[in-house]
Amino acid sequence: MSDPGTLALAAAASVATDLPAGDGLAALAAAGGSADWWVVGEPADWGFVRRNADYLGVGALLTIGLTFASILLGFVVGFPAGAVEVYGDGLLKRAVSTVGIVLRGTPIVVILIVMYFVVGVPQINLGVASISSAMTAGILGLGLRSAAYQSQIFRASLSSVDEGQLEAGRSIGLSRFEAVRYVVVPQALRRSIPGFQNEFTIVLKDTSIVFAIGLAELLTRGYDLFSEQTTAVLEVILFISAIYFVLTFTTNRALDYLGDRYAIPEGESA
Amino acid sequence: MSDDDFLRVTDVSKWYGDEKVLEDVSFEMDRGDVTVLIGPSGSGKSTMLRCVNRLAEAQEGSILLDGEEVLSPDLDVDELRREVGMVFQGFNLFAHLTAVGNVALGPRRVLGLSETAARERAEEQLERVGLADQLDSYPAELSGGQQQRVGIARALAMEPKLMLFDEPTSALDPELIGEVLEVMHGLVEEGMTMLVVTHEMSFAREVADEIVFLDDGRVVERGPPEQLFDRPEEERTGRFLERIASHD
Amino acid sequence: MASATRPATVRERVADADRSVGRLLLVAAGALFWGWLVASWVNRWLGGVLVPVGQPLIPAGAVETAFAAIPGFAAYAADAAFVVELTPELSRGTWLTVVITAVSLVLGFFIAVPLAVTRVYGRFSAWLSLAYTELLRGTPLLAQLFVLYYGLNLASYVPGAFSGVFARDVVWVAILGFTLNGAAYQAEYIRGALESVEEGQITAGRAIGLSKLETIYYVVLPQGLRYAIPSWTNEFVYLIKYSSLAAFITVPELYYRADQIASETFRYTLIFVVTGVTYLALVLTASKLMERVEERVSIPGLGADSEE
Ligand SMILES: Nc1ncnc2c1ncn2[C@@H]1O[C@H](COP(=O)(O)OP(=O)(O)OP(=O)(O)O)[C@@H](O)[C@H]1O
Ligand SMILES: [Mg+2]
Repeated sequence: MSDPGTLALAAAASVATDLPAGDGLAALAAAGGSADWWVVGEPADWGFVRRNADYLGVGALLTIGLTFASILLGFVVGFPAGAVEVYGDGLLKRAVSTVGIVLRGTPIVVILIVMYFVVGVPQINLGVASISSAMTAGILGLGLRSAAYQSQIFRASLSSVDEGQLEAGRSIGLSRFEAVRYVVVPQALRRSIPGFQNEFTIVLKDTSIVFAIGLAELLTRGYDLFSEQTTAVLEVILFISAIYFVLTFTTNRALDYLGDRYAIPEGESA
Repeated sequence: MSDDDFLRVTDVSKWYGDEKVLEDVSFEMDRGDVTVLIGPSGSGKSTMLRCVNRLAEAQEGSILLDGEEVLSPDLDVDELRREVGMVFQGFNLFAHLTAVGNVALGPRRVLGLSETAARERAEEQLERVGLADQLDSYPAELSGGQQQRVGIARALAMEPKLMLFDEPTSALDPELIGEVLEVMHGLVEEGMTMLVVTHEMSFAREVADEIVFLDDGRVVERGPPEQLFDRPEEERTGRFLERIASHD
Repeated sequence: MASATRPATVRERVADADRSVGRLLLVAAGALFWGWLVASWVNRWLGGVLVPVGQPLIPAGAVETAFAAIPGFAAYAADAAFVVELTPELSRGTWLTVVITAVSLVLGFFIAVPLAVTRVYGRFSAWLSLAYTELLRGTPLLAQLFVLYYGLNLASYVPGAFSGVFARDVVWVAILGFTLNGAAYQAEYIRGALESVEEGQITAGRAIGLSKLETIYYVVLPQGLRYAIPSWTNEFVYLIKYSSLAAFITVPELYYRADQIASETFRYTLIFVVTGVTYLALVLTASKLMERVEERVSIPGLGADSEE
């Protein structure tokens, strides 16, 4: 694929026609008849998956990197945006909330395409390594969309902190900004953890959609593999789905732990 | 004690895990009797009441209602609950239904009455508890006293032969208690058989045929109100009554 | 401090006025959008009663001339004409987007309710339900669509009765995928809502002689489903947006058609901005619609206004 972006949909159609008819269910049915009924697919095709595990592993790493970079960008932009929606006023507040509505109301695939073709982000050269323009577009698209959602998480948690907290901060001589910074924000951040957890797994799963701009992360690599060996379609997709599942599952458990660890003893919110 | 007791509870015991919350509880009632269960918090009054309509399962003993064994594993509990009405401390009105909807749900879905017949019956019962003008209000739009009267009407609409009341007035503001007790008074006069848990001692004295004093899951003492209130035989009964009186 | 308060109220009043003008503009835009959509659909179904099938409702040339005549807009005349030329294809795609979303949402709901009920009240089945929701919520939707389409090749197994309803059978594969996926998310929302129904409601239901199932049906679900409406709105919006992924299994919905035109004309910017705006209009309509639903079925003391 020389220009993966434009070709993604066309390729999707061509692989479909390449597939031997009935291959998938037949594989399941064949498995049903064999002795090892619980094994889905053919041993030979699982061998193909095993031989390409490294290739998929690199894809998984890219997926993880893309997730972290997007979440980070989402936080850096989303947190101030949430604060503006709570404490700001006038034009700035309305601009922020309008951009948020647009980003939350548009499919991520459209956002990614717009980033890739419209904004036309260039390849970024860091000397030692370079970030492809698809990667930059992916991080920008996923990150800004995530910012729009994270702003809502922080908006909710900031406004859930009792009014009295701010007043108490002012009463000991803090400025408004300081009171927000040292009293409200620490409480709000902790309350954001459950929403943040949700957002993290959404971004992780949605990295698969950079398939649309041909970025070679996990799903795209899986796709390339089964386009090459069409008998192994089911095996490849199940394998990468399992990787995604392990990633979301461990992320959730890790953030659960973080939530427990930093939970504020009850009574604080009363 | 006669063979034709309407409700006869004999040696009922109940455990929650290792904790014995009822121990050999026995008492009996005739048709039309009013029995009041009293006792300190945690003594097992609610549990005893709930054993009678099998919302709680007693492990030992016997509860005969109209000659039938309530604790029998073969008994149809839904059938039993059709015949035994219950009124809750926290009202437990169905939050998504109006007053009429609350009262009509049982007749419609359990007794299988038609939509109109169920509504008619619900209106009758609400009139009976003095709520003819609040038929279409939702629970959240009613005062506590009104909610509890809907709760009573809901139980009455099933035409029960026994009514259970679990502290029907203790969640109410003092000025709302009277209207609920008044409705209960009316039921006594109509001859309803009632098993009541309450801390309203003057009400108990007025209407009860028998008072049963429970402590720690055991019946400490029972007898007619005059005897139990004025000349308690057990020291524990006296102490409990004194404590209650000092709160009034 | 006092001087800072006064300008703020003035600003607020201005903002209020702005907002009502904004609302009016939004309503007008919504009416225009849906009017155009429905008119194009009807035109196509009736075989071109208004304009020949495939032609925009308003001739692109006319739009171009009109724009050119307005001072300041002349520079955009060609673009405007191009957008008008897009509309027949986009409205066709939007129809499929709307149908896929609506059908999957409703079908998913009927799977989600039993899933949620067994999750809350079941024993063994609670584990099955948990496994299902965790698996579907733990893997990307696009991967799930790939499993159904490429992995199982379901498009060639569409039963005769369903085959031919849509121009391409693969639409059914997309509907199946979104239904199965959406059911998992909906089940999670409904579970939360069921759990927020008070225990006493169940006790009261049992006490008047309703069976456990009857109590769930007549008492718990009517309350729980009302609690679930706000999150159901989220699910609706989610499905509208993610139905675009059907394009990657060759379903010719909105995004697919946009991408096709873009790869022929290379006018990515304009096409995808228009596509984005179309999705946005669908999403905003859905949330307004659900707001109305919530108002219609609201009961004093239940859900949002329970604090009153
Ligand atoms: N579902 C339950 N599981 C475990 N223990 C229970 C349960 N219900 C009641 N108990 C225990 O059984 C004992 C009796 O409780 P019960 O509610 O019957 O008391 P009560 O006399 O009604 O008290 P109160 O006046 O506070 O209502 C208490 O120790 C209580 O903690
Ligand atoms: Mg009690």
